[in-house]
Amino acid sequence: MAISLSSFLISLCLLPAVIADVVVYDFDVSWVYANPDGLANRPVMGINGKWPVPPIVVTKGDQVVVNLKNSLGNESTSLHFHGLYQNGTNHMDGPVGVTQCTVPPGNSFTYNFTVDQPGTYWYHSHNKGQYPDGLRGPFIVNDPESPHKNLYDEEIVLTFSDWYHDFMNELLAGFISISNPSGAEPVPDSSLVNETRDLSVKIEPGKTYLFRIINMGAFAAQYVWFEDHSMSIVEVDGIYTEPTDADMLYIAAAQRYSVLITAKNSTDANFAFVGSMDQDLFDVVPDGLNPNVTGWLVYDDNMDLPEPKEIAEFEPFDDFTLVPDDQEGIYDHVDHSVELTMKMDNLDDGANYAFFNDVTYVSPKVPTLYTVLSTGPNATNPAIYGSNTNQIVLAAGEVVEIILNNDDPGKHPFHLHGHAFQVVYRSDEEAGAYDASVTPSSSFPSTPMRRDTLLVHPNGNIVIRFRADNPGVWLFHCHIEWHVASGLVATVIEDPLGLQKQLNGNIPADHLANCAAGSVPTAGNAAGNTEDLLDLSGENTSPGKIPAGFTARGIVALVFSILAAFIGVAVIAVYGMSEVKNKTH
Amino acid sequence: MPNVFAVSVFFICFRECLETSIIVSVLLAFLKQTLGPEHDAAVRKKLVKQVWLGVGLGIFICLCIGAGVIATFYTAGKSSFESAENIWEGAFGILASIIITIMGAALLRVSKLQDKWRVKITKLLEDKDSKLPIRGRFKTWGEKYAMFLLPFVTVLREGIEAVLFIAGVGLGLPATSFPLAVICGLGVGALVGVLIYKGANRTSLQVFLVVSTCFLYLVAAGLFSRGVWNLEENAWVKLAGEGAAEAGSGPGSYDIRKIVWHVNCCSPDDNGDGGWGVFNSLFGWQNSATYGSVISYNLYWLIVIVGFLYMGYKERSARAAVSSDEVPSDSSSGHGESAGKKHEGVATSAAVREVSG
Repeated sequence: MAISLSSFLISLCLLPAVIADVVVYDFDVSWVYANPDGLANRPVMGINGKWPVPPIVVTKGDQVVVNLKNSLGNESTSLHFHGLYQNGTNHMDGPVGVTQCTVPPGNSFTYNFTVDQPGTYWYHSHNKGQYPDGLRGPFIVNDPESPHKNLYDEEIVLTFSDWYHDFMNELLAGFISISNPSGAEPVPDSSLVNETRDLSVKIEPGKTYLFRIINMGAFAAQYVWFEDHSMSIVEVDGIYTEPTDADMLYIAAAQRYSVLITAKNSTDANFAFVGSMDQDLFDVVPDGLNPNVTGWLVYDDNMDLPEPKEIAEFEPFDDFTLVPDDQEGIYDHVDHSVELTMKMDNLDDGANYAFFNDVTYVSPKVPTLYTVLSTGPNATNPAIYGSNTNQIVLAAGEVVEIILNNDDPGKHPFHLHGHAFQVVYRSDEEAGAYDASVTPSSSFPSTPMRRDTLLVHPNGNIVIRFRADNPGVWLFHCHIEWHVASGLVATVIEDPLGLQKQLNGNIPADHLANCAAGSVPTAGNAAGNTEDLLDLSGENTSPGKIPAGFTARGIVALVFSILAAFIGVAVIAVYGMSEVKNKTH
Repeated sequence: MPNVFAVSVFFICFRECLETSIIVSVLLAFLKQTLGPEHDAAVRKKLVKQVWLGVGLGIFICLCIGAGVIATFYTAGKSSFESAENIWEGAFGILASIIITIMGAALLRVSKLQDKWRVKITKLLEDKDSKLPIRGRFKTWGEKYAMFLLPFVTVLREGIEAVLFIAGVGLGLPATSFPLAVICGLGVGALVGVLIYKGANRTSLQVFLVVSTCFLYLVAAGLFSRGVWNLEENAWVKLAGEGAAEAGSGPGSYDIRKIVWHVNCCSPDDNGDGGWGVFNSLFGWQNSATYGSVISYNLYWLIVIVGFLYMGYKERSARAAVSSDEVPSDSSSGHGESAGKKHEGVATSAAVREVSG
C-alpha cells in the first residue's frame, strides 16, 4: 500500500495541516478470500491483496489521487467517492455510464480531485452493483477548523453493513429475472461492523469520542444504539449540525452520522452497542437470520462483554429535525421544480423494474458526461440524452426542487451525487403524493437539514432543494443496490454549457483509453449518433411495457375459443335432437 | 357465487341421479308390468317398497362416503394437499373432463340408457327364470330381496362414481360450494327421472337434456383447459415462488412468456370478483390465458365435434342399413313402442320374455 505515509499520519493525528497535500493511493483491486462473519469463506474484492479495504483519510483541502488498477480478472469496476461534490471534477465522480467508462480487467484509471469539504464519506465501486462484494471503504475528511473540534478527544470510525455470501452478479441475475416477478430483494446473510462481528472498541474513561458511523451496506438500513451511552449528533453526510441528542439512529444505506459519545468515568463494566438491520425491508425473513451485529465499548479488557439487552421497540431519532451548524437558510424561491414519482412494476420480460415517472433507467451507450461534452449547444436539449436515462437538465445557478413521491410500500434512501440538498419536507408513511395545498412551503423549516442521502417513507414523499451551482452530470438514485440495478435512477445534467467550459479537452487520456478498451463510444447522443443528435435509433432501452389488456393474439385466441365452443354446442344439439327425429320417423 | 354453488358438481350430481332414477323407473315399470292388478297387491307393494329401500339405502351410503371423503379432504388432507394443489387440481380436472365427456353423450340417448338398464335387469331376472319355476320365483332369499339388491347395488355404484367425480372436479373449491350444488343436482336428476317415468313430452324432455348436456360439455371443456392451466401454474409457482402467489391478478401472477392474453382483473381466484369464478367453472375462464389453456380448450372442442359427428354418422348409416333391410329388428320395434306408449313400453322386452317363458 503506497499511501503517502506522511499525510496519512498527519491526518490520523489530527494535526492542523495548513498546507494542502497531495495524497496518493495506489489501489490494486483483486479477489481475495475473507470470512468476516465466520459463516462463509468467500472471495471478496480487496485492495492490494487485503480485505477489508483501507480507509481513505485526508484533510480538507487535500488533493487526492487514487490510481485504480483492476486486477479482478473477471469483472470491470470503478470507484465513486460518495458525498464529495467533485466541483470542477465531474469526470472523477465514478459512476459507470455516467461520467466514465467501466475499467475493464487489466486496465487502470486515475481519480484526481481536490477535497474541499469536511466530514464522513465513503468510497465504493459504482459499477454493476458490485460494492457489496467488498469494494467499499470509509473516506474521512478531517477538518482543522471543525466547529466541534474542541468537543472530543479522539475519533473512531464505525462502518455497519449487511453482508451476502453470494456474488452480487449472481444475486442480481436472480433478482432481475422472470423468476422474481415481485422484485423481492435478496435478503442479506448477516451483518458486519467494521467488516467483522463482535468488535471491541477500546474506550478510556472520561474521554469524549467522535464516532463516525457509516452504513456501507447494499440494502439494509441499520438501527444503531449504544447501551447506556447517549449520542450527540454533530454531522450528517458531511454537514455539521447543531449538537443534537439521540438514543438511537436509523442509518439507511449510504448515510453517515458523526456522534459524540462521552465515556463513563468508571471502568466497572463494558457496554454493548448494536447495529440491527431493519427487517421491514426484507420480503421474507429467512429462518436463522441474525439481524443484529454487536460491538462493545471496552473500558476494561478483563471485564465481561455483556450480551446486548433486549429492547422493546425501535424508536430512532428523526433526522429531519436536525439544524445545520452553518444556519444556511431555506431556498425559498424555487426556479425549477421537478416531480418524480417512483414505483415498481414488471416489464414484458417478466422481471420487476423500478421507475421514475414510468421510465426505468438504462445506461446509455455513451456516458452522459461525454454526450454533454461532444454536443455543443445541443447539450441543453434533454432529448439527446436518451429515452431511458430520466434526464433532468438544469440551468446554471437556478434553485432546484425535487418532489419525490414514493408510490411503493418500501423505504428508499435517495442519494444525489454532487450535492448536499436541503430537506424541506418529508411526509409520514402512507401520505401519498406531495400536495402543496396541504403542505405549503411556508410550513417548511427556515434552516432545513442538509444531507446527500435521504430516506423516503413507504408511500410517502420528500421535497428537497439545492442550487445548481456545481456543473456536472450527477445521478439521483435510490442507494439500495438492487434498485440501482432495476433502474431507480435519474440523471441530473447540471449546467451542461458550464460543464463544457470546465472539462472540454480536459478528460484525461486514461479515461478515454478505458472507453476504447471496452469499445464504448465517447461522443454523440445517448445512442452514440454524432450526426443527427435527435436520432436515437440503436440506443439502449428497457424491455417493453406489458399491454394493459387484450392484444391482437389474445382477441384471436378468445374468438377462436368462443367459436369452437359455439360450434361444439351446435353439433351436440343437432346430435341430441336427432334422437327425437329418429323416434318419430 | 362459486363459494355457494359449484356448477360442475351440480352437473355431475344431475347426471348420476338421472341414471339412478332411470334404473328405478325401469324397475318400477317392470313390477307394474309383471305384477299387474291381476297379481297380489300386497306382494307388489312389498316389492316396490324393496326397490325404494334399496335406492334409499344406496343413496344414504353414498352420501356418507361422499361426506366422509370431503370432510377428510377439508380437514386432514387440505394442508398436505395444498403444497401440490395445482398438480392435483390439474390432474383431477383433466381426468374429470375426460370422464364427463365420455358419459355425457349417454345423456342424449336417454332411451338407450333405459334400454341398457332394461336389458341388464331382464338378464338378471332371466337367469333366475331358467333355474326356477314361475310360481316359486320369490321364495328364496336372493329372489326375495332381488328388488332390494338390484337398485341398492346400482345406486351404490353410480353414487360412488359421482363421489369420485365430484372429488376430482371439486378439488380446490371451497367446501361451502358443495351442498347446494349437490342438492340441486340430485333434485333435477330425480325430477327428470320422474318425468321420464310419467312419460312426459318426449321433445321437450329431449330439449332439456340437450341443453343440460351442452352445459355439461362447456363445463368439461373449461375443466380440461383449466387442468392444463393448473399444471402450467404449478410450474410457474415453482419458478417464481412466493412472488407468484403474492402478486394477485397483477403482473407477476403469471408467466408472461406463455401468455396469450392477460387482464389485470377478473381473476377467478379473487374472492372479490365472484362473477368471474362462475365464469371460470362454467367456461374455464382465466384472466391469464396461456398457450396451453387456449390450445387445449380448442383441441377439446375439436375432439368433441369430431366425436359427435362420427357418432351421428354411424347412427345414420346404421339406420340406413336397417331401413334398407325392411325388416324391423327387435330393438327398433322396442324403440318405437317406448316412444309411442310409455307405460307399457318400458319393460316390453322383459314382458315378452316372461310370456314366452
